[in-house]
Amino acid sequence: MAPPAQLANCVRGTFRASSFRPTLWRQRCLYHSYEYSQPPPFPPAEAAILSSAISHVPAFGFTLDALKLGARDAGYLDVSTNLLPRGVFDLVNYHLVMQRLALKDSVQFPTEAEQGTGKKIGIGAKVRTLTLARLRANEPVIHRWQEALAIMAQPSYAPPSFAELAKLADEIWFLAGDTSVDTSWYTKRASLSAIYSATEVFMTQDTSKNFAETEQFLDARLEDVRKFGGFLGALGEWADFTGHSAVNVLRSKGLRI
Amino acid sequence: MSAQIPKQLLRRQLLAGGRKKVARESSRCFSCSIRHAQQQTAPPKSPREGSATTHFGFETVAEALKEQKVGAVFSSVASSYDTMNDLMSLGIHRLWKDHFVRNLNPGRNPLTSPPNADQGWNILDIAGGTGDIAFRMLDHASTINNDAHTRVTVADINADMLAEGRKRALQSPYARTPRLKFVEANAENLDMISDASIDLYTVAFGIRNFTHKDAAIREAYRVLKPGGVFACLEFSKVNNALFDAVYKRWSFSAIPLIGQLVASDRDSYQYLVESIERFPSQTEFRDMIREAGFLVPGQGWEDLTGGIAAIHKGVKPA
Repeated sequence: MAPPAQLANCVRGTFRASSFRPTLWRQRCLYHSYEYSQPPPFPPAEAAILSSAISHVPAFGFTLDALKLGARDAGYLDVSTNLLPRGVFDLVNYHLVMQRLALKDSVQFPTEAEQGTGKKIGIGAKVRTLTLARLRANEPVIHRWQEALAIMAQPSYAPPSFAELAKLADEIWFLAGDTSVDTSWYTKRASLSAIYSATEVFMTQDTSKNFAETEQFLDARLEDVRKFGGFLGALGEWADFTGHSAVNVLRSKGLRI
Repeated sequence: MSAQIPKQLLRRQLLAGGRKKVARESSRCFSCSIRHAQQQTAPPKSPREGSATTHFGFETVAEALKEQKVGAVFSSVASSYDTMNDLMSLGIHRLWKDHFVRNLNPGRNPLTSPPNADQGWNILDIAGGTGDIAFRMLDHASTINNDAHTRVTVADINADMLAEGRKRALQSPYARTPRLKFVEANAENLDMISDASIDLYTVAFGIRNFTHKDAAIREAYRVLKPGGVFACLEFSKVNNALFDAVYKRWSFSAIPLIGQLVASDRDSYQYLVESIERFPSQTEFRDMIREAGFLVPGQGWEDLTGGIAAIHKGVKPA
């Protein structure tokens, strides 16, 4: 459908929110709304197979065997795994999507009223909490996560994997309450994506108790970004000031600038 | 618009005349094949798509006749089937078939599956007379999945094609084992196969020739177990316009000519390319599969070699 028609549909839809087929037009709308719950990310049959298959991942890894066992648990046959055209990548993708969507329910920040007069939680601290929560969601499958990373790195699966990483970074900044509308919107998401993927790789090698070292690693990287960001900001300020001064000096010498 | 109709009529009459003349002469000159290639741009519309008629290539024939005519085509090509496939597709049909089977991954590995479950898959290969798909399935199950129980039933409407398959089976390790069975059957009416008994239903380069494709898909739905898969490898529509032009040129001029030279049977291969042209596009066929009640994975099909062929799949809901 053409975008204008789609927009018109969305607008019309908002005016008859209580109409008899709200689900139909809601799925066509592409904006995020707090008013309505999002449609489930996977069709029912696929979701049934994948959700049972995920429980076999700790034992069998991100493999076809886990998928087949999952299909069997869901009342399907071995051959029904053909319902997933990308095979094991669909299993990895299911884990990524479900954990990303679970983030908004698993991490709750106190509202300002609840917080009272206490110290407010900054956006930076919220981002750290959310990122840690997402990393901890990999804990049950962390001994198999290198397998998943290898699957995601395959040339045909790399673009959807990067897209999913971008969605995760966006979700974290959104849930942290970031409202930036300038170029920092991009740099924030890009730097968080880089930090998250680096920490994820670090976590697969982490043998410390309760992943304490992963936490330290994450803090160090976030600190790096803060310092680097601060350095870039200061550098910009210095360049701006020096440039203006230079122009003014030249003007004072009689140059028409 | 009105001026076009008499022109088309005239052209059709010319074509009919050409055919009659060809029928009299035993061999055709190369110029005939060029004339055919030009004809293909305007496939004659059937005057009335009634319930009693269907298409046989670009011709319109009575439904009762199509089965007979298709039978005649395949009886005449059975012996040279493999050589012709290799020449017409430049050997690529082997890659398609290998990919088709590898992707379905038939067979149940006894080392990684629970011991109480039933052993092996029950595969039905429709229109698989020469056993091309069947042998690949059994090879894959045995060598990749260490499964010595997966069974394939090869069904074909044509006794000559089945005879070719039986002959070839003797050279494979599966001859005279319970793993391979040949049945003569019409895909639209598989009475000898009970409901919900098949894991995987495959049809490779066959469904194009069925008189009632929808009836065949419904019959597939009936014989499949819940969760079973319908998989179809078939010629389809090329996506790229430039590549399509080259491909059309090849299929309408070269293929009948190769048929004439190698198998000395031009008309059968003329039918072949015309039936490819008449087969529904990827989306239309996907919707036919959906209509029968199947769930389709992802977009519903996978294009091979730019859409010359496509793999369609459907899963029967559990």
